[in-house]
Amino acid sequence: MNQKNNLIVGIIIALVVVASYNVDANPVEFFEGIPNLAIVAEEMTQVEAELFGIAFWSMFETIQMAFIGTIVGVAISLPLSMFAARNLNSKFVYGPVRAILAAIRTFPSILWAILFVIMVGLGPFAGVLAIIMYTVGFVAKLQYEAIETIDADPMDAVSSIGVSKWQLIRYVVLPESAPHLLSQMLYMFDYNVRQTSILGLVGAGGIGFYIINYIKFFEYGKAAVFMIVVLVTVLIIDWVSVKIRDKYIIKSQHGMKVVKT
Amino acid sequence: MELLQMNSHSFSTISTKKIIQMNDVWTSYDSKNYAVKGINLSIDRGTNYAFVGQSGSGKSTLLKLMNGMMSASKGTIKIDYQTPNMNDKKFKSMMHTIGYIPQSLGLIKNITVLENILIGALPRMKKFQSFFKIFPNEEIQEAKKILKLVGLSGKEERKAYMLSGGEKRRVAIARAFMQKPTILLADEIVSELDHFTAREIMNLIVDAQKRMNLTAIMVHHDMQLALEYSNRVAVIKDGEKILEIGVEGDKIVDFQTGDLTSDEIMEMYSDESKK
Repeated sequence: MNQKNNLIVGIIIALVVVASYNVDANPVEFFEGIPNLAIVAEEMTQVEAELFGIAFWSMFETIQMAFIGTIVGVAISLPLSMFAARNLNSKFVYGPVRAILAAIRTFPSILWAILFVIMVGLGPFAGVLAIIMYTVGFVAKLQYEAIETIDADPMDAVSSIGVSKWQLIRYVVLPESAPHLLSQMLYMFDYNVRQTSILGLVGAGGIGFYIINYIKFFEYGKAAVFMIVVLVTVLIIDWVSVKIRDKYIIKSQHGMKVVKT
Repeated sequence: MELLQMNSHSFSTISTKKIIQMNDVWTSYDSKNYAVKGINLSIDRGTNYAFVGQSGSGKSTLLKLMNGMMSASKGTIKIDYQTPNMNDKKFKSMMHTIGYIPQSLGLIKNITVLENILIGALPRMKKFQSFFKIFPNEEIQEAKKILKLVGLSGKEERKAYMLSGGEKRRVAIARAFMQKPTILLADEIVSELDHFTAREIMNLIVDAQKRMNLTAIMVHHDMQLALEYSNRVAVIKDGEKILEIGVEGDKIVDFQTGDLTSDEIMEMYSDESKK
């Protein structure tokens, strides 16, 4: 058994070495490159504070894009997840819906952004559409998985009353999966803010547009302002979502008391 | 004297009001092993009937056969002259008359006590109303009346997960009553409770049962409890009914055995008392 494990570890290491050779990943270059980073870091310390105004405004735009994308994406994915859940539908319904969702997920959001820039032109709207698509693909999957793990007993008990399928969804499936949904919305919003921050790379609006442009023109001090704003915002969102999670989700899932410190 | 009269009546008059009948019913979860083997049952309207047996004896399966959650692979079942089948429209329209309380109770833990109880009224509601959770005032009043009956007044707005074991059972009972049932199926509803709470819950059911003229079919683990609260007790072992007893007060008024000898029955009893 142990020998077999050693063999597996050996094979994995060998594969990493071979793959690194293939993609030209050379650790020596990494260490030689550290001084370059120091130059960038030094320039970044020369923060140009007068840009904070624009930075905050573009961050605000980014957050709004992520917000619309998350809410609309979740709203679309909710009914889709009902059709994709195996415990609610026949395979002729969930099969095709799952295939569509899988297809949506194969594209990263930046590719969706490129597609939508072509479709609706440069600007935040393309970014919003990209975020919606990405959110639909993921939340629908997470949500149908959550629905499938719902306790079968309340479903059985309520369907034995003779309720319709829609009543079952409204009164059992939704409330039983709601904590998951809220948790996924928070996670997705958090994630979407980060994603939207880079959609500017392809001209789909948001703070990323400034970052990429300043970096292109080697104005690291200016780029630093925007990066600090992104960092602080993401930390704040993280902190707020932990608070919300504690208050509404953990408690309702386990019936446990959250100790206030 | 009264008991004897009751007894002589029970075979002539009441026997015409069969609400549940099972004829040589077999069923299985997998294709190999039968969970229920050749069960014959005939239950009068208004009876408090109990199944007693060990875990895995097939008693819960019998309840699921009665409300159509499972179907018989052989034999016939009639509930109020209908064959239970969840996919049959006619049976589905009468399912609200069968209150079913599974062993796990099947409450929805993230919604309030009142909402859990109102679920019992869903089959009576219009699509639009039920989608937007607009419950007619008389249904809410009815729910509050039942809440009072089961002793949960003042706890309407509690979330179900916050309740104690005894309280959760009361909510499940209230939800079943909200259906305005004629039959109540309850699977080991008091098994996990302490002696005192178990009796409180059983008294509650028996009182309501008499008032609403319910037919109650209850699964018990405890023979003592079954004899104390039921009119008829069937002992189930390995999917077979090995014994059926009619009880009035502390008298046994009817006694039927299957193909078992008295030794085997005694063995069964000692099995039960060990539990």
